[in-house]
Amino acid sequence: MKLSELVIKFDLKVKCGAHELDREIKGGYVSDLLSDVIANGRAGEVWVTLQIHHNIVGVASLKSLAAIVIINGREPEEETIKKAEDEGIPIMVSKLPAFELVGRLYQAGISGTR
Amino acid sequence: MITYPKAPKIQELGYELKVRQAMNRNLITVEPQTSMSKLRGVLRSNRISGVPVTRENKLLGVICVEDLVNWLMSGAKDCAIEEKMSKDVVTLCADEPLVHAINKLQQYGFFHFPVLERESGELLGTITREDIIRKLLQKLEIEYREEEIRRYRASHIFEDIMADKTSLIFQYYIVGQDFNRAGESSSALKKSLKRLGTHPDIARRVAIAVYEAEMNVVIYARGGEITVKVDPNQIRIEVEDSGPGIPDIEKAMQPGYSTAPEWVRELGFGAGMGLNNIKKCADEMNITSTVGKGTRLEIYVATKKESVSYEVK
Amino acid sequence: MNLGKIRQILRAEVIVGSPLDREIEVCCACDLMSEVLSCVPTGSSCLLLTNLAHSQTIRTAEIAEIPVICFVRGRKPESQNIESAKKNGLVLLSTYFSLYEASGRLYKEGMPGCSGSRVS
Repeated sequence: MKLSELVIKFDLKVKCGAHELDREIKGGYVSDLLSDVIANGRAGEVWVTLQIHHNIVGVASLKSLAAIVIINGREPEEETIKKAEDEGIPIMVSKLPAFELVGRLYQAGISGTR
Repeated sequence: MITYPKAPKIQELGYELKVRQAMNRNLITVEPQTSMSKLRGVLRSNRISGVPVTRENKLLGVICVEDLVNWLMSGAKDCAIEEKMSKDVVTLCADEPLVHAINKLQQYGFFHFPVLERESGELLGTITREDIIRKLLQKLEIEYREEEIRRYRASHIFEDIMADKTSLIFQYYIVGQDFNRAGESSSALKKSLKRLGTHPDIARRVAIAVYEAEMNVVIYARGGEITVKVDPNQIRIEVEDSGPGIPDIEKAMQPGYSTAPEWVRELGFGAGMGLNNIKKCADEMNITSTVGKGTRLEIYVATKKESVSYEVK
Repeated sequence: MNLGKIRQILRAEVIVGSPLDREIEVCCACDLMSEVLSCVPTGSSCLLLTNLAHSQTIRTAEIAEIPVICFVRGRKPESQNIESAKKNGLVLLSTYFSLYEASGRLYKEGMPGCSGSRVS
């Protein structure tokens, strides 16, 4: 599935990186702990998180993640969006909480790290 | 404690109590060789309607009034009890829940059952309908009394004290940077409020608000103090700390805004939701802060009069 | 969903606590304690799925009245935290699945989340 399909299917608001939505998604990861994502995240995954501060961009870049989806309708900080644009990391927002969003992604065939 | 849907009280007790607790250990038995003519005397003098037949404490059968009547009706030719008893005995084990005994009463229409020790098969006593009823009533009465005492204590703390105004004040000390002990105060506060008869929903809200406040003190400050003032109408909490203070309170109140260092986030905190959670839980919240000195948080939660004093009906 | 069934779906180990024969009404997957405190609905029986196996998770569960925590990635708390959980009547589970997998599997089997919304 491509990021663009994800946006449509799950009604996500794109905050930045709209031109990068052609990427193919390789899997999904959900965590609010940066150290955890750094240790276990894999390239091409969609990262679902509550965190909105700019450090998330650094992590996504480091692990070559496909995109960051922020949940609970939270808005990323201005600094975060700016950094994400610079690094070419798309950030999207979903109104749903983590469990529900991950559940739907999973049902849509996006699997997690084993 | 977490509870899940409660069964009616009697049923609950039926599961809680065991046959062992209700049974009659006063064991009256007859030998299989004893004659039927002697049986009438046994039943009558003990005022029982049935009796287990045993040899060396092992249950062989049961003989009851009905068997006696049948024997009389058929000519009363004397013989051993062994010949007239029912060998097909419905028994209960001492460790079974009382509800099994109740079910068997309904199922079989007998009013008495021999009770056996599960492992050895040894006959321990009998249990009758009366025994079951008596035990249930006894337990219900005890529980009712305990409940009354508990409620009395909680509700009358404020009512029994004669004063123009009554309030209870207690304090907790928070050690800064000590993550293991963080949360102890809010936990203790919650238990105390419940003990005072505060409505559980209110106790929960207060506990959440104080927990967030406590965590802020632990994360950012050197230490702090929580002062709780409870009176019949409201709970007022003051959290005061010695720490860096908050330079921009308005910004700090924004959901998601956080100045927490990374190691704090790794512990699951510092998401910037703390002050908001407190605001959501409280009826009123005030923050004042001096940079370089510390922060003071005031939280008010209204409690209706009914929530701290129950009517014992 | 019955807790016994949840345990099966997650192939989880029981660290402490009982009974397993009880209904869990909602699930929350979260590592941030403040979020847990604000999103768990009052009065519902909730399962918390989380990476964090330290004392504050137990504390948060106690304060928010969450009866069951399932740690993911095979994580387990230290013994004094297990004792603390036991004292408070909490059930602790541990599953080898990641938070993503665990959430996905439960959701797929019909477990509702805190927001109450579902797409069948």
